[in-house]
Amino acid sequence: MNNLSYVKEFSIVNQIDELTRVSEWLEQLGEELELPMSLILSLNLVLEEALTNTIQYGYNDEIQHEIDIRFEKTDESVTFVLTDDGCAYDPTLKTDADITLSADERPIGGLGILLMKKIMNTIEYQRNENRNILTLKKIINQ
Amino acid sequence: MNVEITTATGYTMVSVEGRVDTTNANEFEKSMMGVVESGSARIILNCSGLNYISSSGLRVFLIIQKKMLATKGKFELCCLRAEIQEIFDISGFSSIFSIYPDKESAING
Repeated sequence: MNNLSYVKEFSIVNQIDELTRVSEWLEQLGEELELPMSLILSLNLVLEEALTNTIQYGYNDEIQHEIDIRFEKTDESVTFVLTDDGCAYDPTLKTDADITLSADERPIGGLGILLMKKIMNTIEYQRNENRNILTLKKIINQ
Repeated sequence: MNVEITTATGYTMVSVEGRVDTTNANEFEKSMMGVVESGSARIILNCSGLNYISSSGLRVFLIIQKKMLATKGKFELCCLRAEIQEIFDISGFSSIFSIYPDKESAING
């Protein structure tokens, strides 16, 4: 059984420029926990892709919404749990972009979820009380 | 993010520094489109200072590649850091771009 060694929470609102605060928060977290820079960059990428989807496509109104980010680290893994009250959206159901196509044939876009899936070991989606809960876990070797 | 453009005989060298992400990909796209529209037949993008890229940034790379292919031009990359190369590998971008290890080999083609 994994002992929870570290938990941190952070919230943003549904605006794209909040992603800058997310990177700064993550960098600080990396320094505190002495995580390798390459891991921080990968985690930053995963968070950016997931949060961009929510911020850009998750809401049908002009109201400000909060998105919660929970970070958990054990000796074996790092996990993010993202919770938002946007429209129901399960990124795990999206078909992977075909990365064997030539530049001519490649559609523009659609890479975000593929990157998330390739970087993390597991991605789980739940819809609970009108909220999307996305759990992204990566095994680390430390 | 910082973009620097140098025009030489036969090619245009663009150096990008910092992060290309959702917050600034539009700005990066504008700079790159400016180079494409200037009519340069060969663009080399020096990525030695690029330390972060997300799918919003990759999108711009693909747009420029499509534009250049359509006009029989060349869009080539050099000096990718290991972290960036990894993102290119997992998104299948390594096989749709000519990527050179350093500036000189890119210039010499």
